[in-house]
Amino acid sequence: MGLSVGLDTAVKALRAHQLAVDVASHNIANANTPGFSRQRVLLRPIGLDGSDHFSRDNLLGRAGYGVDAKDVNRIRDTFLDFQARQSLSSRGQHGAFAAPLGSAEVVFNDPSDDGISALLAKFWGAWHDVVNEPESAPARTALVHASTTFATRLQAAHQTLTQQRADLNLTVSSIAGQINAKATEIAGLNLQIKQVELNGDMANDLRDRRDLLLDDLSGLANIRYSEDETGAMTVYMGTHELVFGTAARTVNVVDDATNPGMVKLVYAMDGDDVDVDAGQLKGVLDARDVAFPELINKLNNFATGLMNSVNSIHQQGYGLDNATGLAFFTGTDASNIAVNATLMGSPQSIATSTGPGQPGNPANALAIANLEQAPNMLAGLAGSNLVVNEALSAGNVASGIVLSGGLQPGSYSIVANGANLDLVLGTTVVATATLANINPPGGTIAFMNGTNVVASINVSAAAPYSAAQQQADLTAAGNNTLQVETSASVFYGNIVSVLGADVNRAKGLEDAAGLLVDHLEALRQSVHGVNIDEEVTNLNASQHAYNAAAKVIATIDEMLDTLINRTGVG
Amino acid sequence: MRLSEQSRASNQMRYMSEATERADRIQRQLATNRRIDKASDDPTGASMAMQHRKNIAFEAQMRRNLENGTAFLNVTESALNGVTDLLQRARELTVQGATGTLGPSEKTNIASELNQVIQQLAQVANTNFGGAYIFSGHQTQTPAYNVSGNPPVAITWQGDTGQRVRQISAQDAVAVNVVGDTVFGSVFDDLMALRDNLNTNAPTTAINGSLADIDRALDRVLNARADVGARLNRFEATTNRSLDADTNLQELRAGIEDIDITETIVQFTAAQNALEAALGAIGRTSNMTLLNFLR
Repeated sequence: MGLSVGLDTAVKALRAHQLAVDVASHNIANANTPGFSRQRVLLRPIGLDGSDHFSRDNLLGRAGYGVDAKDVNRIRDTFLDFQARQSLSSRGQHGAFAAPLGSAEVVFNDPSDDGISALLAKFWGAWHDVVNEPESAPARTALVHASTTFATRLQAAHQTLTQQRADLNLTVSSIAGQINAKATEIAGLNLQIKQVELNGDMANDLRDRRDLLLDDLSGLANIRYSEDETGAMTVYMGTHELVFGTAARTVNVVDDATNPGMVKLVYAMDGDDVDVDAGQLKGVLDARDVAFPELINKLNNFATGLMNSVNSIHQQGYGLDNATGLAFFTGTDASNIAVNATLMGSPQSIATSTGPGQPGNPANALAIANLEQAPNMLAGLAGSNLVVNEALSAGNVASGIVLSGGLQPGSYSIVANGANLDLVLGTTVVATATLANINPPGGTIAFMNGTNVVASINVSAAAPYSAAQQQADLTAAGNNTLQVETSASVFYGNIVSVLGADVNRAKGLEDAAGLLVDHLEALRQSVHGVNIDEEVTNLNASQHAYNAAAKVIATIDEMLDTLINRTGVG
Repeated sequence: MRLSEQSRASNQMRYMSEATERADRIQRQLATNRRIDKASDDPTGASMAMQHRKNIAFEAQMRRNLENGTAFLNVTESALNGVTDLLQRARELTVQGATGTLGPSEKTNIASELNQVIQQLAQVANTNFGGAYIFSGHQTQTPAYNVSGNPPVAITWQGDTGQRVRQISAQDAVAVNVVGDTVFGSVFDDLMALRDNLNTNAPTTAINGSLADIDRALDRVLNARADVGARLNRFEATTNRSLDADTNLQELRAGIEDIDITETIVQFTAAQNALEAALGAIGRTSNMTLLNFLR
C-alpha cells in the first residue's frame, strides 16, 4: 500500500471525526429542544472490496481504506411515537372535558355555608318565620329577601353555566384553527422533506418538526397517519384525510342547524361533518353538547319543580289584604326565576292564610314551608305516570308501587325487552323485570338491578294475567312512566354530587392518561432524547480519534520526509 | 433506562410539582379546616355532608320555631294566671255579696269592684303579643272581645276558633294558641249579670247562683292552663331532642367535611420533609455531569 493511501485514509478519518464532533455539538445545542431526536454519524469501514476508489492492482496489503461517514441518522422509534400519540389523544380528551366541568362545580359552591343549598335552607326558614308570625311585616319582608337572594343565585348559576358553554363553543373554533394551522405546516414539511431526501440527504430536523406537529395534532383530535416512499406523511382525522401528500385539507367552522347557537366542524373538501372520538376536540364537544346541557337542564328542572310546587299552594291562599291567586315565583326556569313583583311591592299579599280575613292563619304558609320535607320535585314535569289503583286492563289493577330509595329522581319509562320489561332513565337501562303469568288474587312485577329490587308493582288480578298482557299493559301510553320524586334539597344535592362524581371521574381519567403520557414520553426520551454525558463521551472519543488521525498524517509525513529527503541522499 | 436531559428536567419538574402540590393541598386543608372543598373531592362524602347540613339547618329552624312558640305559650300562660286570680277575686266578692246582712250601698260598692274585675278580665282577654291578639284565633288583628259601654254593658267575642300552629319537628305541627271563647265562655255575661244583681240589691239566692258560674269558668281556665303547661313541656322536650340531634349531626358533618387536625399536621410534616428531600436531591444530582470530571 502506498503512503498516499494512508494519507487519504487519515484525511477521511479527520473528516469523519470532525463530522462526529459537529453532530455531538448539534445534539448538545438541541439538548433541550422539544421534539428533537439525537443524531448519530453512521460510521462504516471501507473494506478492501467495498470501494471503487482504488483498483485491485494497488492492493498491496490487507488493511482497508478507512472510514466512511456519509450519513447522519436520527434515532427514533416510530412505534413508541404511535403509542405516545394515542395517549396524547386520550389525555387531551379527558383534560378538555374535566376542566370545564371543574369550573361548573365552582358555580354551585357546595357543600359550604353559602352555596345554593344554604340559600335554599334559608328560603324554607323564612317561610317558617312567617308561619310563626303571619301578621309580622318584618318576617314577610325577610321572606321576600331570602326568596329573591335564592332566585337571583339560581339565575346567576344558570347564566354562568350558559356562558361556560358558550366559551366551549369558542374553544371548538379555536381548535379548528389549530388543526388547520398544523395540517398546513405538515403539508409544507412534506414538500421540503421530499425535496431534501430526493437529493439523498437526510431531512432529520424537518422530520423532528413534523413529528412534533403530529404530537400536537394528536392532542387535539385522534389522527392516523402513514408515510409514503417519498417521505410524505398522509394524515387522517376521523373519516377524511387532513394532509394528503403536499396538500392540506382543512376543516371549516359552520353554524350547526341542529344545535342552536353552536358551531360544528366540517371537512372543507366536501362539507361532511367532522367526526372524532378522542383528543381535546372530543372532550370539548362532550362537555358542550352532553355534560353542560344536562347540567343546565337539571338546574332548570330544580327551579321549575320548586316554582310549580310553591306556586300551586301559594295561589290557593290569601294574603293579609285578602289577595289570592297570586304566583309566588314568576318565570319559567332557572334562567328567569324571580319573586312575583306584586309581592315584592306588597309583602302583605303573601298568601299565608287558607281563608280570607284570617290574618293569624298560617296554614297556607306552613303548607309551603313543609314542601321542604315533601317529595314533590318532579311534580312540575310533564309525563304520564303509573299510579296506585290504576286499572291496567280488565280485572287487573296496579294495587301498589314500591320504589327503592336507591333510584335517583327522574322520569323512568317502561319499555319492552323481548318478553320482559326494562326500566329506562334517559337511555340507560336501570333495571329489568322478568315477566311471568300472575294468578288471582295477584302478584308482583319486580324490576331488578342485579339481585336488588329497585321498583316493584303489585298487581291484583281477578283472572289469570298473562305475561304478554302485562307487557302490553305496562308499555301502553299512560302507564309506561314511573316518576321517582324527591324533596328539593335531595334533588339539588343529587345535581351537585353527580356533578362531583363526574368531575372526579374525568380528573381520574385525565390523571391516568397523564401517567401513561409521562411513561411513554420517558420511553421515547430514552430513545431519542439527548444525554449530555453521552455526547461529551462521544465528543472525547471523536477528539481522541481526530488527534490520532492527525498523528497518522504527521507520521506519514515523517515517513515521506525520511523517504524523500534522507533515502539515497548521501 | 437511558435518561435524556429533557427526561431528567421533566422528571425533576414533576417531582417538585408533585411534592409542592401535596404540601399545598394539606396546607389548604389546615387553613380551612376542611377536607372536602368541592363535591369532586369526595362525591359520596359531599352528598352525605349536604344532607347533614340541610338537616342541621332544619333543626335550627325547628328550634327557632320552638323558641317563638314557647314565648307565645308563656304569654298565654301568664295571661291565664291573671284570669285565675281575677276569677278568684270575683268569687270572693260574690261570697261577700251573698252575705245576708249587707245593705244596698255595701252591695253597690262590691258591684263597683266587680266592675273593675270585669274590665281587667276583658283587658287580659285582649292580651296582645307581637302585634297579635293571642285569644282571637286567626283574627289576630281584632281584639278577642269588644267591650261596649262604661261600665261595660256588653262584652262580645270577636275571634274565631282558628289554630296558630308552629312546626316543631318534621312530623309535628302544634297549635300554640288558646281560643278565647273556650276559656272565657259566658263569664263576661255571668259577671255583668252578677254586677247588675248587686247593684239592684237582688236576692241572696240569685247572687249565690253566680258562684257556680264562676266555678265553671275557673275549671275552664284550669283546663286551659293544664293544656298550655303540657304543651310547654312538650316544647321543652322537643327542644332538647333537637339539640341532641344537632350535636349528632354536627359530629357526622364534621367527620366527613372537616380534617383531623393531628393527623393532618403529621401529614403536613411528612409532605414538607418529602418536598425538602426532593429539592435536595434535585440540587445534588443536577450538578452531576461528566464535565465536572474532565480536565
